[in-house]
Amino acid sequence: MKRTVDVSLPIGPVHPVFKEPCRIKCETRGEYVLNAEIELGYVKKGIERIMRGRPWQEVMFLAERVCGICSVIHNMVFIEGMELIAETALPDRAAYLRVIVNELDRIQSHVLANYSYCYTIEHETLAMYLLNLRETAMDALERITGARVTCAYIIPGGVRFDLSDADARYLREAVDTIDRELNRFVHMFTTGSLIALRSKEIGILTRDEAIEAHAVGPTARASGIAHDCRLDHPTYRRLDFSPVVYTEGDNYARIMVRFDEIFQSTELIRRCLDRMEPGIIRGGSEVIAGTSRWVGEAPRGELTYQITTDEFGRVTDIGIRTPSIMNIEACVHYMLIGVLSAADVTSTYISSDPCIACNER
Amino acid sequence: MSSSVIWYLKEFVRAEWLRKFFFAKTAPLETPAHFRGFPQTTENECTHCFACKMICPSPGAIDVLQEGDTWAPRIYLGHCIRCGLCVEACPEDVLTTGRLLEVQKIDQTSYVSAFHVMIDTVLCKRCGNCSVACPVNKEIDPYLAGTGTASSEEVIMRIIRGEMRVIHPEKCTGCKTCEESCPNHAIRVARVVQGVHGPKGPQGALGGGEAPVLEEGGEERS
Amino acid sequence: MSILQDLKNTVRSKSIHVCYVNVGSCNGCDIEILACLAPRYDIEQYGIYVHNNPREADVLLITGAFSPQWEDKLMGLWEKIPEPKVAVAIGNCPISGCVFNREGSYLDPPVRKHIPIAAEIPGCPPRPTEIIQTILTLAPVIFRDYEGGAS
Repeated sequence: MKRTVDVSLPIGPVHPVFKEPCRIKCETRGEYVLNAEIELGYVKKGIERIMRGRPWQEVMFLAERVCGICSVIHNMVFIEGMELIAETALPDRAAYLRVIVNELDRIQSHVLANYSYCYTIEHETLAMYLLNLRETAMDALERITGARVTCAYIIPGGVRFDLSDADARYLREAVDTIDRELNRFVHMFTTGSLIALRSKEIGILTRDEAIEAHAVGPTARASGIAHDCRLDHPTYRRLDFSPVVYTEGDNYARIMVRFDEIFQSTELIRRCLDRMEPGIIRGGSEVIAGTSRWVGEAPRGELTYQITTDEFGRVTDIGIRTPSIMNIEACVHYMLIGVLSAADVTSTYISSDPCIACNER
Repeated sequence: MSSSVIWYLKEFVRAEWLRKFFFAKTAPLETPAHFRGFPQTTENECTHCFACKMICPSPGAIDVLQEGDTWAPRIYLGHCIRCGLCVEACPEDVLTTGRLLEVQKIDQTSYVSAFHVMIDTVLCKRCGNCSVACPVNKEIDPYLAGTGTASSEEVIMRIIRGEMRVIHPEKCTGCKTCEESCPNHAIRVARVVQGVHGPKGPQGALGGGEAPVLEEGGEERS
Repeated sequence: MSILQDLKNTVRSKSIHVCYVNVGSCNGCDIEILACLAPRYDIEQYGIYVHNNPREADVLLITGAFSPQWEDKLMGLWEKIPEPKVAVAIGNCPISGCVFNREGSYLDPPVRKHIPIAAEIPGCPPRPTEIIQTILTLAPVIFRDYEGGAS
């Protein structure tokens, strides 16, 4: 059947709502989107090629710089992959500290994603509130690790710095602040009539489509797939939690999944702080030759590292699969089709929380 | 419509709103003390052990330079990624950043490192560049020049009877100068670092000597 | 220089419009620029307005170490910005390529090879305070001696 296409609408690579360069091409009739296509490759760096032949203390920093927003989980998955090769036993305290830092990172990433969404639907008040809330999480992160974004906290066999009692108190306060403030903002989000008009029933990804597109992370959980890689992680399993699932599959559900996961993360941090016993934080770990595959739950979904090392612990081969590529595909092939206006194209795209730096590397 | 306009007008003439609008001030722009900034040098004397340089993950970020009689590490802005590993690795606490040194004293953590020198005999041209370039060799035998055939038996590596031999691998400081000077990428230095508990010691505490040294066989080529 | 031009330059330095472009960074610097917008740092109180439109911008913030896709596009973007204009490199990547400047990478740092850079902010990533401080020190100087130029 011949389709009547009015105009092919390109968005990007530099666009006010895009934090990172990419280009979406939409075939539209009027403003109704018939088909969409995405063009990537603007930030290809070849990180996996640089990583080869390097020891962990260099690859760790490269892994962190795969994505600046979810840097902690990249570091964590890479290091835990190395530990799997070396068969290192992790000290208890270090395991909990890793979870704390990872969850703080998840909080700031989710807040940032929701900020971007609110900014895209032109609700700047809520956007600025959220951005300010993010600073609370960043402060806590900076206090524990010493840096805001690429904090280089996790090393084989443990973590770099211990959490002092003063910092633990500070962290508890910060987490309480995040909970309290976020409650207000979630209330604003759920009761705002403008937000509901711009978010509900827009960019729908049904459960079947999500399975077909291999959607992961919050995007999949908003479509009713109860899958969270943290459930398979040895430390998280001790903290018993269950994934947040919504079934609507629209923009609103995706944002609400992230909001609820922030509450879940603060609860996990509190549990870790309660259960943490004083003890050593570094075990030492001599990496040997081997191959491993390790999966972790990044803020955007499932993150996989496949690592091969030589006898001195240098990475000879590495493969990274980041979550965003599946979510972007799901967004472009399923969510954007049938969107009624060009303004909703950008907001739908942002609601899937794409990370271009991740999936191009 | 009109009610909301009136509401806004009323909102804007409130004394508090006006005060906030004209006199709002954000907190001063300052970096907290616990932020890991660019490493600064302390009073302690540098022993040019290159522990900082060998652990640095960023290319060209740190160098240990000689000024007169003293040595001092130098951080290059625009290359340094502020990871703080050099501060943690330095056995003499020459560098400092944020509250990293204090935290390290409280936690009693350190890094131990070992180095393995490997020469791929298939690729090696026996030019001796590596043994001439090696800063440790230079210190042991200042007369080492030209062909890399020194008379001293104390050097890390040198050419013995037309073959490149690694004699004292335990002396390697892991600076990788040899790798850079090798025209054929035949020599490789592996740095094995571990984060452990325990006070800082001189580097190479793990003992570089016990490591297997692959002189023959070119299987190590990553 | 005419008084009118002087006045224009003074006004320009009080109201700076910023556009940022990511030419192959890891996102770290981009989110630190975003953090400058947060009420905590509040870059708009200094008269600096961040919006991502090169045609309205005075200052172009560049993050990233120049990936090959940008070879023609960055120059095009730079030409779209009306005079007077400056480019500021944020983070290590545009200055030196950071950890990516190794054998095997596709990047082509530094960015100053491709377009003129007025100032550089080192750090990986720089703190929002450092970004704001640099832009504030830069603001009174960059447009001070601008003389109209060729249209």
